[in-house]
Amino acid sequence: MSKYTLREAMAIHASRQIRNEDKVIVGTGMPLVAAIIAKNCHAKDAVMLMEAGPFDSNPLALPSCVADPRGFVGAPWVADPVQMMGMILQQGRIDLGFLGGAQVDKYGNLNSTCLGTYKNANVRLPGSGGASDIGAMAKRNLIIIAHEARRLVEKVDYLTTPGWMLHPYENGKRVKDRLVHRKELGLWGGPEAVVTTMGIMKFEEETKVMYVSEYYADLGVTLEMIKENTGFAIDTSKADQVIPPTEDELYILRNVADPENIFI
Amino acid sequence: MVSESKNSTKKTKIKTLQEAISQIPDGATILFGGWTVTRKPMAAVFEIIRQGKKDLHLVSNPGGPESDLLIGAGLVGISETNFIGHEVLGIPYCFRRAFEKGGLEKTGYLHDDWTVQTGALRILAGAMGIPFIPTKSLKGTEIIDPEHDLLADLRGKSKKLPNKKVEFIQDPFWDEGELLLIPAIKPDYCIIHVPMVGEEGTVRIHGGLFMDFYGALAAKKTIVTTEQITSEDYLKKQPDLNSIPAEFISDIVEVPYGGHPTAVQGMYDLDFEFFNRMVDSTKKEDTYVQWLQEWIKDLPDHDAYLEKLGVKKIFSLRADPGLGYNPRLKRKS
Repeated sequence: MSKYTLREAMAIHASRQIRNEDKVIVGTGMPLVAAIIAKNCHAKDAVMLMEAGPFDSNPLALPSCVADPRGFVGAPWVADPVQMMGMILQQGRIDLGFLGGAQVDKYGNLNSTCLGTYKNANVRLPGSGGASDIGAMAKRNLIIIAHEARRLVEKVDYLTTPGWMLHPYENGKRVKDRLVHRKELGLWGGPEAVVTTMGIMKFEEETKVMYVSEYYADLGVTLEMIKENTGFAIDTSKADQVIPPTEDELYILRNVADPENIFI
Repeated sequence: MVSESKNSTKKTKIKTLQEAISQIPDGATILFGGWTVTRKPMAAVFEIIRQGKKDLHLVSNPGGPESDLLIGAGLVGISETNFIGHEVLGIPYCFRRAFEKGGLEKTGYLHDDWTVQTGALRILAGAMGIPFIPTKSLKGTEIIDPEHDLLADLRGKSKKLPNKKVEFIQDPFWDEGELLLIPAIKPDYCIIHVPMVGEEGTVRIHGGLFMDFYGALAAKKTIVTTEQITSEDYLKKQPDLNSIPAEFISDIVEVPYGGHPTAVQGMYDLDFEFFNRMVDSTKKEDTYVQWLQEWIKDLPDHDAYLEKLGVKKIFSLRADPGLGYNPRLKRKS
């Protein structure tokens, strides 16, 4: 068995979350890599979409972003953002959204806007892009993020992309002492899993709080390590060891999905 | 058969880059076409920097190096965008400096956060001539939190800004519950860069159109910079391949490699090497000032920029005609 890194494991385990007939909208970076692995392994019929336009993208080389000409090759049609995000996504026709971010909280809310307070941020990030829309309107969502205590946090510094539990707005003001299920705001979907560099997290059916579903025991990750590297108290009692990456998956990752090591 | 001479009475829209950019007043609202590091009208942006346009109001959807470089040059007053970044090519340091650690207070720069969908719908509303449009997005996010609205003090005072960022509404027709109304974007100028334009302005774009068509309709004036000007007769042979009718184009400028260092599908690939050096220079204010001097301000025009770039570099980026990009390009340094 070949050796593999935590990042490689993360890409492969994320790819396994994609189902064969999913229409999956992917963001720049690891989501693109994982979707290409899936399309070359267990989910050959998955349809890959990008917010910049590619519809059913079948690239010959890894696109370096969602607007890279590489993503447009082999696609039967190209959408513009009004069509892709204003129509296809908003109508609820996209099965799976696949997002990264700088922070995720225990309810799967994502931050890709700023660290610290908004008006006097310690770090300003590029902003939502299409993440907020995808998190709101895809039928399921998948989050991919490095497992660090500063990234998996009790509460995100800024809520860019809606997860499960949210503060409602009343008379235009955000009600900070009340949390409601996204359904109460008229949102469908929601995050299904968070794939990290340590394992796969899921959300409790009732409380929608994140827990450890599987962990990378094959790479020496322990449940203790996950607890130490998570910024909130995380339940590890239901955790199983993952099925390690296969030779096929590793081959596809290294030779087809990202042979130039652009994101891995 | 009565036929009007094609070129008879129409005034040509073809201008030099200097002429086309010089009409833009300080404070103008500009929508740059393209998408982050693809098909951005960089030569036009560099000319804007050369001419020192001030207090610009940027509404790209999304923004890329054009926004970051203009912010770093101190030429931007307001931006309303969903994203400002260079994708895999690094951090938007100028945007960060202007925004974080008290930057907003120091510079007076104001930024309004949106999303790809809502930004696109706002431009669509502008193109449709309607003042607002509903969306199912944004609910539960902090993007609509009035506490974060940096433009709050200007709303209701500046004619260039909507009176409110968003409005909640109950669906009055189908009882689909609560939606948000978002205001139209009505730019003064839309500036796009494309592979081919007819001599009267018919635009042909390969690959992603992004927001360019909607932007051209939403804006009062649309400046198109192009790799090549061709005859309208040639473009009329296959009108289904054309992207924007000449009617909506105000000015045409022929600027080969006018998207460099971003990628123009079918023409040339992203210049990773140049881009990395450019982004590196933006890490600090003084090194960025030097870069601006060397690559923009010390050069009289785009021709001089291309000469400095060199034939070898230019040829190395050329796209494979079957793929639209350069499959041999070294993408990682």
